Amino acid sequence: MTMKPSIAFPVAAAVLAVLAAAPLFIPDYWTGVLLGMTGYVTLATAWALFSGPTRYVSLATVAFFGVGAYVVAVLNEALPYPLVLLSAAGIGMILALAVGLSTLRLAGVYFVIFTFGLAELVRQTVSWWEVNITYTMGRYVFLPFEGRHIYWQLLALAAVTLLISWAIGRSRLGLALKAIGDDEVVAAHAGIDVTRVKLLLFVISATLITLVGAIQAPRWTYIEPSIVFNPTVSFMTLIMALLGGPMRLWGPALGAIPLFLLFEWLSVSFPDHFSIILGLLFILIVFVMPQGVLAKIDDIRKGGRA
Amino acid sequence: MSEALQISNLHKRFGGLIAVRDVSFSLAPGEVVGLLGPNGSGKTTVMNMISGALPCDGGTIRLGQTDITKMKPHRVAKQGVARTFQLVRPLPTLTVGENVLLSLAFGHRRHWGREARELVEEKLAFVGLAGRGDEQVSNLTYIDQKRMEMARALASEPELLLLDEWLAGLNPSELKIGIDLVQHLQGQGMTVLLVEHIMEAVRALCSRCIVMSAGEVIAEGPSAEVLAQPAVIKAYLGDDHA
Repeated sequence: MTMKPSIAFPVAAAVLAVLAAAPLFIPDYWTGVLLGMTGYVTLATAWALFSGPTRYVSLATVAFFGVGAYVVAVLNEALPYPLVLLSAAGIGMILALAVGLSTLRLAGVYFVIFTFGLAELVRQTVSWWEVNITYTMGRYVFLPFEGRHIYWQLLALAAVTLLISWAIGRSRLGLALKAIGDDEVVAAHAGIDVTRVKLLLFVISATLITLVGAIQAPRWTYIEPSIVFNPTVSFMTLIMALLGGPMRLWGPALGAIPLFLLFEWLSVSFPDHFSIILGLLFILIVFVMPQGVLAKIDDIRKGGRA
Repeated sequence: MSEALQISNLHKRFGGLIAVRDVSFSLAPGEVVGLLGPNGSGKTTVMNMISGALPCDGGTIRLGQTDITKMKPHRVAKQGVARTFQLVRPLPTLTVGENVLLSLAFGHRRHWGREARELVEEKLAFVGLAGRGDEQVSNLTYIDQKRMEMARALASEPELLLLDEWLAGLNPSELKIGIDLVQHLQGQGMTVLLVEHIMEAVRALCSRCIVMSAGEVIAEGPSAEVLAQPAVIKAYLGDDHA
C-alpha cells in the first residue's frame, strides 16, 4: 500500500478503465454482482472516512443510505435525474449536520447505540409519514437505467470516495482525525477544533453514503422502508471495513470485495442461516484481526507481533 | 510592561466543593514560576482553567492583552499556550515525529509540508530525540515519552508553557536532564508556569513560587523565602513541623 503516487495513479486509472469496460463483455448477472460489490466498496470506504480514524463506530449507515433511496423514489418523476441526486445529497448532508451536532459529544458505546437508534427512528418516521400523510406504502422508481448504467455511476462515486480518502489521509485534516481517535483532550490542546473536525468528516461520510443509496434506488424498482432501511446494510458495511482495516486507504475496499462475494453466495445457498453465519463471522473478525487484514499481513511480514 | 499571564479572582466549584477560591497571580514575560501545594489544593484545576480544559466559575485570565477566560482549549492553544499533562499522554497511532507535527500543524503558528518536517526534527533534537521521529511511541522509554511531550508542547511555539508535574516519576539522573532542559528554555526567554512537587527542581528553576492550599493562595514570593514560611511548611507537612 506504499506505492509511489507516480505509479499508483496510472495503475488505479487502468484498473478503473478495465472495471468500467467490464459490463460490455460480461453477462448481466455478473454486472449485477459488480454493481453490488462497488456499492459496498463505496459504503465501507465512506464509512471508514469518519469511523476509521476517530473510532466512533457508526451504525447509522442505513439511515443515510435509505434516505438517499427514498429521496429518489419520491422525486424521480418530479425532477430531472441530476437534480434528484443533488437533492438526495443535500438532504443527506442536512440530516448528517443535525445528527452530528446533537450526537458527536457522545462517546464510545453511547454513540454506537444512538446511531443504531437513529436508523430505526428514520425508518419508523418515513413509514409513519407514508401511511398517515401521503397514504402510500411503497413507491415505484421509474428511471430508464439498466444495471450497467447504475454500475457506472457507482464506480464513479467509488473513485471519488477513494480520492477523497486519499487526499484527507495526507492532509492536516487526516493528522487531526488520527489524533482525535487517540486522545481528544490532547488533540484539543494541540489546537484542533475537535467538534468541527468530527462534524465535517461525519457530514462528508454521510453524504457519500446517501448518494450510494440514491444511485442504487432504480435497481429495486419498488421501494418501501423495510427494504431500504434494512439494518443488515449497516452491519455489513461495518464488518467489511473492519475486515480490511478501517485506518487504511484500501482497507475497507479490500474487506468489502471478498465479504460481498461470500454474502452473495451464502444468501443464495443458505438463505435461512444467513444471519447466523453473518453474526459468527462478525465475532471471528473482531477477535482474530481487530486491526484488519492488512495490519495482520504487516504483522506476519514483520515476523509476528513482538 | 504588560504581564505574560494575569489571573484575577479565579473561582471554581465542583458541586458543593470549592476547588479554587479567589486566586490571583501574574507572570512577567520570561519568568519561570512554580505553583506548589499539597495534593488537592487546586493547582491542576488552575492549570486546567488556564488551558481551557475546565470552564471558570468566576474571575478572568488574560494572556498578554487577550482575555482567554472563556476560550475552548483549541483556541487557547492558538493564542500561544502549550501544556504537558500530569500523566504523559502520547498519541499511540502517530509516530514520534507526527506527535510533534500535530502542534506545528494546528498550534500557535501553523506549519505544514517540508518546513514543518524540518521544524519537527529541530524540536526533537532540542529535547534530545534527534533522528527518532519515525519511531513508534510505544518504543520510547518513560523519559523519552516525557521528552516527546515537551517537544510537542514546544512545537506550537508557545508564549506560555504549562508544565504539570512534568518532572514527576524520573530517576535522579533523568531529573537532572529534565531540569537542564527547562533551564535551557528559561535561557531562551520562555515564560513557564510549573506545578511541581520536587523541591530540588523548584529551587533550581523557579525564581518565584505561588503556594496553594485548599483552593487558596497562602503564600507568594521568591522561592527561598516562600518555602521557609511556617504556613507553607504547615500546609505541606502538618502542624507538628511548623
